[in-house]
Amino acid sequence: MNKTRYDAIVIGGGVNGLTCAAMLGKAGLRTLLVERRMDLGGCAAEHELAPGFRVPTLAHRTGPLRADVVEELQLARQHGLSFVSEPIRYTALAPDGRALPVSTDATRTADALRGWSEHDATAWPAFTHSLSRVAGVVGTLFTRTPPDLDHPGRQDLWTAMRTAGAFRALAREDQWRLLRWGPMAVADLVSEVFETELLRAAVATDGLLGAMLGPWSAGSGLQLLLHEANAGVGAAHGAEVDGGPPAVARALGRAAARHGVEVRTGAEVVQVLVTNERAVGVTLATGDTFESRAVVSAIDPKRTFGSLCEPEHLPPEFLWRIKHLRARGVLAKVNLALSALPVVPGTTKEMLASPLRIAPSLDYLEQAFDHVKYGEWSREPWIEFTLPSVRDPSLAPTGAHVLSAYVQWVPNEIGSRESGTGTRPAAELAVPPSASMQRATREPGAKPLDEVGLLRTVIDTLDRHAPGLRGQVVASQLITPAALERDWTLTGGHIFHGELSLDQAFTMRPLLGFGGYRTPIPGLYLCGSGTHPGTGLTGGSGANAARVVADALA
Amino acid sequence: MKYDVIVIGGGHNGLTCAAYLARARKRVLVLERRHVLGGAAVTEEVFPGFRFSVCSYVVSLLRPEIIRDLDLPRHGMELLPLDGTFTPMPSGDYLWRVNDHEKTRREIARHSRLDAEAYDEYGRSMVEMGRFAKPILAMTPPDPTRLDPRALLELLGMGKRFRGMRPHDRINQVQLLTMSAVDFLDQWFETDVLKATMSASGIIGTFLGVRSPGTAYVLLHHYMGEIDGSFRSWGLSRGGTGAVSNAIGDAARRFGAEIRTNSPVAKILTKNGRATGVVLEDGDELHANAVVSSADPRLTFEHWLDPMELPADFRQGVRRYKFRGSSGKVNLALDGLPNFTCLPGAGPHLRGAISISPSVDYMERAYDDAKYGRFSRRPYIDIVIPSLTDTSLAPPGKHVMSCFVQYAPYELRREGTAREGREPHAGGAVAEWDLQREAFGDTVIDTIAQYAPNIRDLILHRQVVTPLDIERDFGLSEGNIFQGELTLEQLFFLRPVPGWAQYTTPIQQLYMCGSATHPGGGIMGAPGKNAAETILGR
Repeated sequence: MNKTRYDAIVIGGGVNGLTCAAMLGKAGLRTLLVERRMDLGGCAAEHELAPGFRVPTLAHRTGPLRADVVEELQLARQHGLSFVSEPIRYTALAPDGRALPVSTDATRTADALRGWSEHDATAWPAFTHSLSRVAGVVGTLFTRTPPDLDHPGRQDLWTAMRTAGAFRALAREDQWRLLRWGPMAVADLVSEVFETELLRAAVATDGLLGAMLGPWSAGSGLQLLLHEANAGVGAAHGAEVDGGPPAVARALGRAAARHGVEVRTGAEVVQVLVTNERAVGVTLATGDTFESRAVVSAIDPKRTFGSLCEPEHLPPEFLWRIKHLRARGVLAKVNLALSALPVVPGTTKEMLASPLRIAPSLDYLEQAFDHVKYGEWSREPWIEFTLPSVRDPSLAPTGAHVLSAYVQWVPNEIGSRESGTGTRPAAELAVPPSASMQRATREPGAKPLDEVGLLRTVIDTLDRHAPGLRGQVVASQLITPAALERDWTLTGGHIFHGELSLDQAFTMRPLLGFGGYRTPIPGLYLCGSGTHPGTGLTGGSGANAARVVADALA
Repeated sequence: MKYDVIVIGGGHNGLTCAAYLARARKRVLVLERRHVLGGAAVTEEVFPGFRFSVCSYVVSLLRPEIIRDLDLPRHGMELLPLDGTFTPMPSGDYLWRVNDHEKTRREIARHSRLDAEAYDEYGRSMVEMGRFAKPILAMTPPDPTRLDPRALLELLGMGKRFRGMRPHDRINQVQLLTMSAVDFLDQWFETDVLKATMSASGIIGTFLGVRSPGTAYVLLHHYMGEIDGSFRSWGLSRGGTGAVSNAIGDAARRFGAEIRTNSPVAKILTKNGRATGVVLEDGDELHANAVVSSADPRLTFEHWLDPMELPADFRQGVRRYKFRGSSGKVNLALDGLPNFTCLPGAGPHLRGAISISPSVDYMERAYDDAKYGRFSRRPYIDIVIPSLTDTSLAPPGKHVMSCFVQYAPYELRREGTAREGREPHAGGAVAEWDLQREAFGDTVIDTIAQYAPNIRDLILHRQVVTPLDIERDFGLSEGNIFQGELTLEQLFFLRPVPGWAQYTTPIQQLYMCGSATHPGGGIMGAPGKNAAETILGR
């Protein structure tokens, strides 16, 4: 038993955990952050792929990082976070070797589009404009704690009024767009507006990242809105953090230290201590225990309640619901060390500095998705890749480069065998009210993933758009959803700690009645991506949760 | 002479609307294009001695108040029970659920003890969900973008009732609206064939798969029927579904409505933004104070009206409204009864629905074919043999068998050609159906023959109804049996066009009353009744 008693212990040193801990520290609370891995950052981590080659291990984009986080923690002023303007958001690569750059500046994109379709060139500015207006309404909810439907407090009413106000402020046609777009299939959404398949697919992918959805799946429209809403509440519009996610992790680490947060890496929590139905601390794998007034978990809800808590402390129905949260990871990550800068026909150096998307058509995306439903992966995957070393040459030896690629859809053979319940047998997960809830739902046809074959497929696909790339590969790395589950403890390998569907969003994230970062165990809180708003590396969940915890401990 | 109201289309919704209007002493004229009443709820003697419910074949959820108000039993409507669902499996086993709850529990327990227990909980929660959803069927959707107090009150009312539910039911409710049928069922059941068969009801008439979000809520329809007792609102109609339409038609006539068949409408007459009547294809002009169209928005606003009379955003809404017919019918005249290898003989299992839905993946792969413009190589088929319960439909010893088949995409890819991305609606490859009709029919027979090999020898006649036929013969655009997809963005206050979900249209005195309006498809009658109430200003 460790002598010191903390105000709060934050489990998990990813972006949300770090944000939450730093804010709690800033609020004057004695805070301990424990991270299972040897380094901080979670999905924002980086590592040396080969001697002299450093890559963003998982995420190569921020969410973007939320403005209020940057502001409150003075990340830019005091902790060395800087932004580089990103005139080009991404470039869509066509099979015929042409490239379509999508810029932050709508008119610039429109100009680029003229080469493809006059119609789309005219449609683009209007579309982006109303998309950001519509998403803005969703964004007003991002900085707020989702209301408690049963006992709405003054705060909740204020949130409701604020959002209702934002909705009313929209033009009537935008009000309808908001109501229609959320539940729509993103393929329908973009097909209504654009005629160029390449553009349709490129825009649609914003609604598909990390999702167990294809472009024709209803509800993918919501993800597009959430993605766009992030931009609305993000710091420095049209800019990306210099150095990307790893730089965010470093700045947050410094902020945490600056606010007196005690950090322990290589420290795996195996249990949340509960006495008299209250969370009072944590036990590490080493057996050490630490006491605190509050425990805040940045780990996904399934793992938090499934393996860190004792079932008897939780209502059976709650455990049953948690067990059935949908969290089937489909995103794989490929990192490559390249001997030279790949030659991508149709692109400029400026385009190579921002993400490049390989998804020629909606049907291409849908077909890439089809396989994952049966526990397989497509020979023609959807890929978004970046070349971080173009902006930061220090990441690779002179003349050499690193490539970071998101690859979808890739099944998690662990997840697909026991849908979303992860590595732990479901029986341990819950002591449910009825026998029917006692076993995981089995998925047929799960087979171990052919990692060599998948990596080859990815490199071949890249090579089709960057001829000769195959020969430039010095070192390569594939991180499958299964690996994300095993090594990053993301249940199901889901990068968002759970599907961002209508029924798992806002007041229902992770569960209806527990959307406020609190849990059935007093003193135990959640602050990870599995809570509202929970979209990408924004620090949003961590920041919102920190406010709730700070109030509770004040 | 001049009418108070002209109703275009003599389908069950048009007739229901007409009946309620006539009941309120309005001078009503119903115009039906075909020689028979009923629209898609029609019985026809396709082959001598064999009478078929050509399209819609079960009565789903016909509103009890309509049955009461129009006194339909007195006009010859009689609903016969359609007991149970029988699912043959390739393994040689089967799943057979019946209305008798205990029997079904025992049957499910054969596959999984846990599922048998879950079946009770599931049933209980679904009935709860039904209670919440039911009042919504009878409601005229509010317009959330207007500060009209009625709308706000209704939305608040729904919010209140939502909050009033137990948290458990609340979560289910949200999940029903947003989840896929399979994900939803996964929470209760482990038996694949059970999930496959139950989820099938979630995809009927939609261009979605059992794993597509938004398919869960259709599961509810069955249980909404359960509340009024499955017998009364869910079953077969004696004399085929046409008998229901005829009963409603007779009721309308008794209230004084005039009904003309063989009277196709060519144009809706308007005068300074106000509907004044219709022009028939034979050139006759008929005048009325109000016109109600029970046809879908595409026919009403793009064919019978000059689109230029409509505001641009409305035109766009109509253009974007998704039909995407995805199903077909194969109607068979049989010399005897099919003999299923897994449960031989002419047992009671043939008197219910027979569902070809052996596994979830089977259902999903059927959908994958359709996404790329092919009819399912191994389709989902819902079979009923109504002549077993209603001998009037076929000569003695012979039978009629109705096979509802999904998927049969309206836009069929020309064999051997690659397909571009699907447009919101294009025509294009459509006539392709005339070339592939029989191949489609053969696929259906082959599929059934895998479970009941003797089917081939029994077939006396075969009628294949493709989405193209449904469009041509029954005036349902793109062959969508619900007059437009029942997807979340086309439901409630978004159906059929955002801002126009109150049965009214931008043209004064022109109303809509078909399945393209809230609450949508199925032989329910609610759109017709709700529209009539709007017109009568209630």
